[in-house]
Amino acid sequence: MKILVCVKRIPDPDESLKFAGGGLDYSASKWVPNAFDEYAIETALRLAEVVGGTQRLAEVIVLGIGPESQRQQLTQFLAMGADRGIIVDADPDKLDTATVSKLIAAVFKKEAADLLIAGKLSQDNEGGQVPQRVAGLLDVPQASFAATVEWDQAAKALTVGREVDDGVEVKRVPLPAVVSVDLRIVLPKSVKNGSTPATHAYQEGPRLASLKGITMAKRKPVAVLKPSDLGVAVGTNEQVVGVAAPPARKAGQKVKTVEELFEKLTKEAKVI
Amino acid sequence: MTAGNPLLSDRDVAFLLYEVHDAAALLRLPAFADHDRDTFDLFLANARSLAREVLYPAYRPMDEAAPTFTDGRIKVHPRMRTIWPRLCDLGVITASRPVDVGGQQLPRTVALLAEAYLMAANLGAYCYAGLTAGAAHLIEAFGSDDLKDRYMRRMYAGEWTGTMALTEPQAGSSLADIRTRAVPQDDGTYAIQGGKIFISGGDHDIADNIVHLTLARIDGAPAGIKGISLFAIPRLWPGPDGLVDNDVSTAGMIHKIGWRGLPSLVINFGERGACRGELVGYPGHGLSYMFQMMNEARLMVGLNGVATAAVAYHESLAYARERRQGRPAGRRDPHSPPVPIIEHADVRRMLLRQKAIVEGGLSLLIETARLTDLAHHADDEEVRRRSALLLDLLTPIAKSFAAERGYDSNALALQIHGGYGYSSEYLPEAWLRDQKLNSIHEGTTTIHGLDLLGRRALAPGALQTLGREILQTCSQAQAAGLDLADVVALQEAAGAAGALIAELAGRHLADPERMLRHSHDVLDIFMTITVAWQWLRQATAARRALSRGTLSTDDDAFYRGKLQAAQYWLRTELPRVAPLVRLCRDEEDSYANTRPEWF
Ligand SMILES: Cc1cc2nc3c(=O)[nH]c(=O)nc-3n(C[C@H](O)[C@H](O)[C@H](O)COP(=O)(O)OP(=O)(O)OC[C@H]3O[C@@H](n4cnc5c(N)ncnc54)[C@H](O)[C@@H]3O)c2cc1C
Repeated sequence: MKILVCVKRIPDPDESLKFAGGGLDYSASKWVPNAFDEYAIETALRLAEVVGGTQRLAEVIVLGIGPESQRQQLTQFLAMGADRGIIVDADPDKLDTATVSKLIAAVFKKEAADLLIAGKLSQDNEGGQVPQRVAGLLDVPQASFAATVEWDQAAKALTVGREVDDGVEVKRVPLPAVVSVDLRIVLPKSVKNGSTPATHAYQEGPRLASLKGITMAKRKPVAVLKPSDLGVAVGTNEQVVGVAAPPARKAGQKVKTVEELFEKLTKEAKVI
Repeated sequence: MTAGNPLLSDRDVAFLLYEVHDAAALLRLPAFADHDRDTFDLFLANARSLAREVLYPAYRPMDEAAPTFTDGRIKVHPRMRTIWPRLCDLGVITASRPVDVGGQQLPRTVALLAEAYLMAANLGAYCYAGLTAGAAHLIEAFGSDDLKDRYMRRMYAGEWTGTMALTEPQAGSSLADIRTRAVPQDDGTYAIQGGKIFISGGDHDIADNIVHLTLARIDGAPAGIKGISLFAIPRLWPGPDGLVDNDVSTAGMIHKIGWRGLPSLVINFGERGACRGELVGYPGHGLSYMFQMMNEARLMVGLNGVATAAVAYHESLAYARERRQGRPAGRRDPHSPPVPIIEHADVRRMLLRQKAIVEGGLSLLIETARLTDLAHHADDEEVRRRSALLLDLLTPIAKSFAAERGYDSNALALQIHGGYGYSSEYLPEAWLRDQKLNSIHEGTTTIHGLDLLGRRALAPGALQTLGREILQTCSQAQAAGLDLADVVALQEAAGAAGALIAELAGRHLADPERMLRHSHDVLDIFMTITVAWQWLRQATAARRALSRGTLSTDDDAFYRGKLQAAQYWLRTELPRVAPLVRLCRDEEDSYANTRPEWF
């Protein structure tokens, strides 16, 4: 089995935003991996590894779209345990969601992968479209917002618990397929691969990379592809018209009586 | 607890590593040729995630619920059982050990900073790893291949932990007086009998076995230091059928005011006459072997002092930005809103002093790590020799600076919190309690003062080597355009300190008691000067960056902060050196000549 995991680097969400020239200024930003992509890789590794053994049930490939300088972010995922990497060398600022999805689908086909695991969204623009689009382009089943995944190796299928508004929906998807993961996928018992004992409890959260993993990651192959190698024309139909900070909150008003409050709520604010 | 406490400033760590101490240059040494800057940065990124996300949230609970001692066994805080495997997985135990013993051969310079984050987050938790690394390193350096196979590998893998078992009730500062006995057996092992006290990590329930690296006397050995040998004594003996009891017992637990995540214990060997140990290296060399671990441990304690001051500094900095109180002098209008206390100059004095201690001390500790790397791995024999010499000189200085000034710094962090700082609802009091240990263990500050003046400063070439380094810094500072008065002040202070040592040594070699009378002040002089040296280096790097221009607002602020802290240390601390030198030279004799019965 081959699992493809797509990963993205984003400006550190813990830093406060800086504005310049009608847009966001990322020039001094620290770039970090999108947290949901870390959950995706953790999911892939839990499916691929047999705890207590050395056998691997799947090859895990990380895919990043961006300039070669993104390589360090890929190294982090390789250091966590992915087997190899692919970079599609393109400027992400010049790509829209549709093109990104086409590139991912093209790599999926080229690799003849069985499963794409993606984060449910990237924390910078919170688009949340890529996995669904890729599934559409590939015409394979998808399960989005996965909170649990169970792999039925014999039947070549996954049972996925999806977080939806009114609870958890359980879906069975035959492979090849696309799964996008939500936060709860990294709870200790969310992923079962049929070989690791079902009672096994993983550490909560995505694993960190060990120093040994980091030094080994540098020896793992990372292929660099051009969009043209994949037959995808880059470009964007999206345009940023402007980005502005939300208006500052106005100061509150002090009222003397309940009547006055009621008056203001009904007449001024018109909320009751 | 401020959720966002960064423990250390990432920006500062990168600055010190690359702009001041040129860690990238280490990559040119064959030992580190397999690494690159990505490896350094990724390792630090993962270490700080573990520190911030796993260790720090466990700090408060571990301080509140110390280990328990029931039925002869210690149970540590349950969180340690999840923390321990994660520390091992990260690879901190073997980060800088050679590849052939399972390490990753990372420069100490980089590994040290990973440790700094972990210690700032939760010193007790980290120190299980630090002790294990030090103990295993002793076996690696001096043990037989057989001992390495049976003990070292398991310790480096984190399956077993290690301790250093030196102190006995009658032998603390004076290890020459230890009494634990070792009697040779026919099978080559030794029967061990004796009691140790304060043994950190001496028992716990986080790993299967504990190996005590213990100082003991083989029967018939001469009195004093020459009769001391080093033994590996496992709590459970690794036999052909697995681990069996080795008559090592926990006789009591010390109730401590700090470091409450890590138990310190009374350990008895051979209460039933059935404890065996294995000799490490040659008989009679125990203390000199142990000095390897103790020198490492002293730097670890120094780093701990800096880390404990750092986390408190960041806590008080955040508090000073938030807490509103009073109005600026000159604006008394009661209708105007109170200002955040960081607006008051004296609060900024307390913050800047902490910054100077934390970032100056960290720089000095990084320097010792860099010297460790060069002493072992430099191409040039002469560089290796000089680095070892300077490292030996700086070790007691760096340890004592971090412990003593770190304590001042922790007290300031509490002070900035006002009355809230005096309450256990806030963390600064916990860090103050933790910090106090650092001037006691691994040799008290007194012992390090005596050791510096009585031995290390007299080592041929040691002070000259330090002097040359300081001169080099001074000429770089001048070239970068720093204020000449500051440069000259450091040169003069260093010159005066060197002359003082020569004078004391010449005058009193025949009368060590008089010579050592002001060892504490001499230590203080060297602490102040070496940290001034580090601040001048940092100011030089900051000045260079500022004169390159086109900096982001954040970078501009960062470098300006560096210049201010350097100025603080060079102009308000360094001037203390001259009167101290006078005091030492004049042999001021108040305490020396106060008889015990006059108290
Ligand atoms: C929490 C904790 C953890 C520890 N962990 C370990 C451990 O893991 N392993 C281990 O082996 N030990 C450990 N120790 C022991 C520690 O190293 C000793 O406490 C320390 O060396 C001081 O020895 P002492 O307590 O016997 O004090 P003493 O030696 O009795 O000293 C008392 C005072 O007298 C001063 N003094 C002593 N001798 C002289 C002298 N010659 N000249 C001038 N002044 C002097 C000292 O500076 C000190 O102020 C630990 C201690 C503590 C508190």
